[in-house]
Amino acid sequence: MNILIIGAGQCGNRILDSINNKAFGGGRFSKYYTKQKFPSRVETIAVNTAINDLKEMQYTKAKDRLHIPHLHGVGANRIVGKQCFIDNKDLIMRTIKERGNFDVAFVITSSSGGTGSSFSPPLIEELKNTYDFPVYGVVILPFREEGTIYLQNSAFCLKEMHNSGVDGIILGDNQFLKYAGTDIQSAYDGINSMVAERMLFLLEALDSEMMMVTDLGDFKTVMSGGAGIATIGFAKGDGINSIKSIIQQSLSPNGLLFSSNIYEEGSRAMIILRGDRKYLNIDEISGQIDKLSSHIGHVFKGVIIRNGETPKVLSVITLETTVELDTLYTLAVEAIQMEKEKHDRMALEKETGAAFSKIDGLEPQY
Amino acid sequence: MRADYLVKRSLILIFILILSISTASAFDRYDEKIYKGDGYQINNYFIEVFSIKSYEDNRLLTINMYQLKSDGTYEELVVTSEIISNKKYTKYQDKDGIVEIIVKETNCTSAYGTVDITTLGINVEYHHPVKGGLLNAKFIGEPSLLLTKEVDKTNVEIGDTIRVTIKAKNVGTGPAKRITIDHGITPGFTFKSAIYTTYPEEMAAGNTDYTQMYIYEMEAAQGGTVTLTPATATYYCSTYDSEYSSNSNRPVVTVAQEAVETSVLELTVTPHKTELQRGNKVTFTVSLRNIKDIPATTVRLDMLYPYSMTYESGCEDIKIIDNKPVIQKSIYEARYENEYDYTFVANEVGIYNITAKVSYNDGTNNIINETTSDTIYVIEGKYDYLKEYPLYVYIIPIIIIVAIAGWIFWRSNQFKM
Repeated sequence: MNILIIGAGQCGNRILDSINNKAFGGGRFSKYYTKQKFPSRVETIAVNTAINDLKEMQYTKAKDRLHIPHLHGVGANRIVGKQCFIDNKDLIMRTIKERGNFDVAFVITSSSGGTGSSFSPPLIEELKNTYDFPVYGVVILPFREEGTIYLQNSAFCLKEMHNSGVDGIILGDNQFLKYAGTDIQSAYDGINSMVAERMLFLLEALDSEMMMVTDLGDFKTVMSGGAGIATIGFAKGDGINSIKSIIQQSLSPNGLLFSSNIYEEGSRAMIILRGDRKYLNIDEISGQIDKLSSHIGHVFKGVIIRNGETPKVLSVITLETTVELDTLYTLAVEAIQMEKEKHDRMALEKETGAAFSKIDGLEPQY
Repeated sequence: MRADYLVKRSLILIFILILSISTASAFDRYDEKIYKGDGYQINNYFIEVFSIKSYEDNRLLTINMYQLKSDGTYEELVVTSEIISNKKYTKYQDKDGIVEIIVKETNCTSAYGTVDITTLGINVEYHHPVKGGLLNAKFIGEPSLLLTKEVDKTNVEIGDTIRVTIKAKNVGTGPAKRITIDHGITPGFTFKSAIYTTYPEEMAAGNTDYTQMYIYEMEAAQGGTVTLTPATATYYCSTYDSEYSSNSNRPVVTVAQEAVETSVLELTVTPHKTELQRGNKVTFTVSLRNIKDIPATTVRLDMLYPYSMTYESGCEDIKIIDNKPVIQKSIYEARYENEYDYTFVANEVGIYNITAKVSYNDGTNNIINETTSDTIYVIEGKYDYLKEYPLYVYIIPIIIIVAIAGWIFWRSNQFKM
């Protein structure tokens, strides 16, 4: 299977870099002595207007980093960003075309920033218009306290992406995952690592010889359910706890990338289990699958046997509704209103001349 | 005027008298016991007791007289005899009546006779009893002194003292009498002192050894090669009433001209250390000193060092000429001294010396002076043990490291933007 992963903007770049790192094995220097162990042919492309963000990437080859020249980023201004995309659309699409044909594509981005937020919706739209493979957005929502611009960017980004023809949006939420690290840097690194780990697991699930098969078709079916919004859950055992508890953990808020009540908000799901045969108790697995099915409807199930490996569970759940997203949009509306009032106020001050008008007609005296 | 004339005449007579006494004085020999067959020689006159005969209870002594000749022959002289008071008188008188020899018997036995001998007109230089008679008599001839002049050194400088020794031996056939020596002072030399002057006034013939006659010292006053004036011996032989003289050889003495003041450059070369590891540096300090009051010119200082050492650096005076460190000075002032540092790198293990060579003109000649440093010992360097292993031991890891580094570099560039 041929998979295209595009990381747009700083957040998308970093998650993409983390995916590449884990594909190398996760070591700091593993890129020097190993090959990437993607289960399929995976092409990664990092797109950014800020060259410094591209330079920070350590595990993504330079040829896979596409710099869109526009000073040093678009400054979280989606209008500027979108115009920049239009100006460089041909370059981006040509770069993608040079990578060959694909069966599926993922566009990873933050909803709140400049480049990623403004590039991703039109990029997905272009991909959908150009190719016939499914395109999925992997969107990371911002910390709520990061500011009004980020909130309004997220709101518009999600909306535009939803309308771009995307085949599904997998949400991750910094707000929800903020406790992944002890400080802001490690929190971001932790979030990036979590998303990367889940993405790799997902890629493997889409192209593996499994005991119980799930494939891209199943994934497309799952992602087409609900409101087109999905999230991913993940949990791994230590060989002591049961597979039942691990499945439950992957479906719990602690295991999900985005806060939601699966049993009430979920629409479709795909559960992939991986590990040594001895940890994968079929009765427990079936019990948990049945339980989830009874709440949300259909659940696809895949099992990957890996001798000697402790059990891991990945769940992809599409959502019919999401309270957290409603909350986000409420906040976004407030943020947009606040920004609008601020603009009006400043426009008024400019008209009256404010303090500057006080010295009209005067000359400096020395 | 008359008085002066008388004084002069008296002095001349006195001189003639003294001269006549000294040249023809009488000789008397009393109670000389001469056995039969023996004789007595006076100068070249030989008196022989030829026979003793008995005569009327007396014994009659027969005396013969001979004139010895230089060719070894002799001439028997005509003598007259008479007996007076039973004593026999034998007399010879030459035809001129100048020479007269009278032998008067005073006692006589059957074995010998005792006689008184008186002579007139003979300067007796030699008289001696002769055993064996005429056959053992020797002709008394002319003396001939062989004179030598020896110097203790033949190459000297002005102001030096030379000791001169004069020796002589009589190679003639007669004794030399009243010998006087003129040591013969040579122009260019100043007589200093006589060391030995007590030479004999007489010297018999036939002595094969030289006799030391005169020793004196003189000082060289002028330069050049000088042939000394010969010593002269003056001597006499009364037998022939003649004066003789002999000259010595003439030694040659070279007196160096007065030394011209020149410059002299003294040279030392000192290593700062005598043991070092291969690959390390060692500095040599060359000290060059003009010890004279004359400047040296066209001075050139070279360092002669082995191929296993490489010149590294040195003081600012050093110029590189033909890849060698050289110091050149058009003039090196009098009493001037300076030190020059040369630093070398020792490339090979071994024992080495470095030679400093200075060439200059001392004002007269071109001089070359060399001096060699103490021995320095170059031992193995800190990492020389690495040479003990074959090259591949190092090449293979290096290739691997380079390959890894190249790979890392290439790989890094793949991830560098």
